[in-house]
Amino acid sequence: MNLTAQDEIAVYVEGVRLALSGLPAEIRDELLEDLPEHLAEVLAEGGGSLEDRLGPPDVYAAELSASAGLGANPAPPRTDARSRAAAKAAAHRARLAGRVRVADEFVGRLLGYPRARDFLVLLRPAWWVLRGYLAAMAVSFFVEESENSIGLLPRINGELVLGLALLAVAVIGSVWLGHRGGPAGRGKRRALKFASAVLVFFAVVGFVEADEAARRDYYEPVGYPQSKYDDVRDVFVYDRDGRLLTDVQLYDQDGRAIHFGDGYCVNAETGEVKPSRAVGYPGCANDAPFVSLTPEPSGVPAEDPSAVPSAPVVGG
Amino acid sequence: MLKGVLDLAVLAVLRDEDGYGYDILRRLRTAGLEDVGDASVYGTLRRLFNNGLLNSYVVPSDEGPHRKYYALNEAGRTELQRSTKVWDGFASIMEDLLRERGKA
Repeated sequence: MNLTAQDEIAVYVEGVRLALSGLPAEIRDELLEDLPEHLAEVLAEGGGSLEDRLGPPDVYAAELSASAGLGANPAPPRTDARSRAAAKAAAHRARLAGRVRVADEFVGRLLGYPRARDFLVLLRPAWWVLRGYLAAMAVSFFVEESENSIGLLPRINGELVLGLALLAVAVIGSVWLGHRGGPAGRGKRRALKFASAVLVFFAVVGFVEADEAARRDYYEPVGYPQSKYDDVRDVFVYDRDGRLLTDVQLYDQDGRAIHFGDGYCVNAETGEVKPSRAVGYPGCANDAPFVSLTPEPSGVPAEDPSAVPSAPVVGG
Repeated sequence: MLKGVLDLAVLAVLRDEDGYGYDILRRLRTAGLEDVGDASVYGTLRRLFNNGLLNSYVVPSDEGPHRKYYALNEAGRTELQRSTKVWDGFASIMEDLLRERGKA
């Protein structure tokens, strides 16, 4: 097994910890507090593995607890298969903890703190406020009956004022809870952790949903295609020869008649408004946007194409 | 090593200068106590601390881990003085005893 220095230290510490397993956890942690640093110094001296230099972990543990006035080794390590497996698992855990510790210190150095953990501790009050906000949002989400997607502020039955009151209560409550310190019972602590995890999950889902909703509103304006023809009041149809067709009927793909306008015409000169007498489009032939080149459709194809202008006059 | 002697030795090397575990161990070894065990020194430090003879503080270090320094407090200095007297008395008794026995 090729161990890095950190691994070797972690394994040795875990061995000592296991040998001290008869002591109360608090006292044991106190005894082990300086050990990783010390082992690092011993390794830095060079001259062999930790076991070579200090002896087996259980002997070290016995000497440590005896000199600390805690009596000789209170729980000699068992050597049956089960405890060996436990020791192996503990060594793995220790190695993992060692890696986490290294990462903790590395990231901390980047942030300008001894450890990343020290920085995170400073963020605690910010987490309390965020937790209150998320709790209010969660309550609002589950109380709200409508299918509305999640917004940025909590509402209760669509009432923003109630939602803001809830937000204030939740934030103050969360900060109070955080400031008071963790609950005493192990079960309560566990429940708090579980609730926090649920809130974080809710927050991730909620933020993703809110983000998607916000993007939809910007890039897919709802109702725009319909409004495109809102200001159409009349329809003028010209044939290929530029002649205005009259009494034209328009239908959609389902055979329904298409109606534009209100059926009234305004006399451009007098300003008089009169109901249109036309059967189809255009309703008000006098308002045609282009001059019809041939006043009336003859119904007879032109005999000499050159006599007829080839294209309608399209103004613009 | 005689029980109690290590306590006195640890208090003595902390008399003039605070130190962290490994540092204290090195001072003891440099002074000639070469066989003192690492675990014994750490256990002794912990016990003296728990008995209120030492204060401790953590010093962050740029390279490597943080170090827990130990310092003598008032109770520690008083204990060191008291133990020194006891030791001096004990040592002179032992010296007389050994010399007389040597003569005899």
